[in-house]
Amino acid sequence: MSLQTKLQNVTQEFQKLQADMAKAVEARERLGTQLSENELVKTEFEKLEPLNDVYKLIGPVLVKQDQAEAKTNVNTRLDFIKGEIKRVEAQIKDIETKSELKKAEYIAAQTAFEQQQSQQVSP
Amino acid sequence: MSGPQQVNLTDLDLAQLADVRKQLDEELTHLTSSFQQLKAVQAKFRNCIECVRELKGGQSKPVLVPLTNSLYVPGKITDAESVIVDVGTGYYVKKTLPQATAHYNAKITYLNTNISALEEAIAKKQENMDPSST
Repeated sequence: MSLQTKLQNVTQEFQKLQADMAKAVEARERLGTQLSENELVKTEFEKLEPLNDVYKLIGPVLVKQDQAEAKTNVNTRLDFIKGEIKRVEAQIKDIETKSELKKAEYIAAQTAFEQQQSQQVSP
Repeated sequence: MSGPQQVNLTDLDLAQLADVRKQLDEELTHLTSSFQQLKAVQAKFRNCIECVRELKGGQSKPVLVPLTNSLYVPGKITDAESVIVDVGTGYYVKKTLPQATAHYNAKITYLNTNISALEEAIAKKQENMDPSST
């Protein structure tokens, strides 16, 4: 493989890693928002008295829910979001390491290519 | 990636200064828009509190209920002691009037902390933009 092709390949792979990183960061941010919103609802539910009915919005309809069931639902959702956050954070770390390696590869390939260029010009 | 560095503005050349100014401008616009959004949400909550207040003592009061933008049907308030409040993630809770008012007041206070933090950040950025104005 010529050095130029290798350089192009490494550049492409690096850019793909950057795009993956952007997606992962966006997902982590979205999960963060969901986490805070659900924690708000959980605090709200903890304040509930038996007379406070809980309704869930399903389409255009408010459907009465059982308080205990709603609390369980929110807790399950919270646990799920926390798990997702851990997973995405691990993914981000992984992409970061790969990115660093790819950057080193790129610098090496570029240096080799430039050396080859200068050797060709002044043999 | 190294942490934020302290760069003396006089050390930068013209192109870099223009870049810094552009970046500060963008940050300022973004912060101001967030500030306005928070203020708008606060106004909505205050509006909710006002509505709750108007509902008080309205037992069996006749009302007109909108079915579309131009079609209303007459109705009567059956329960002027409680309202159903949106608490987030698709859940709604039936609260008594004082509980609902307390809920909205708490939300407004919570927003106030965020708003003051934003105001501070905006003031700092403006100072960076134009130190001669301080």
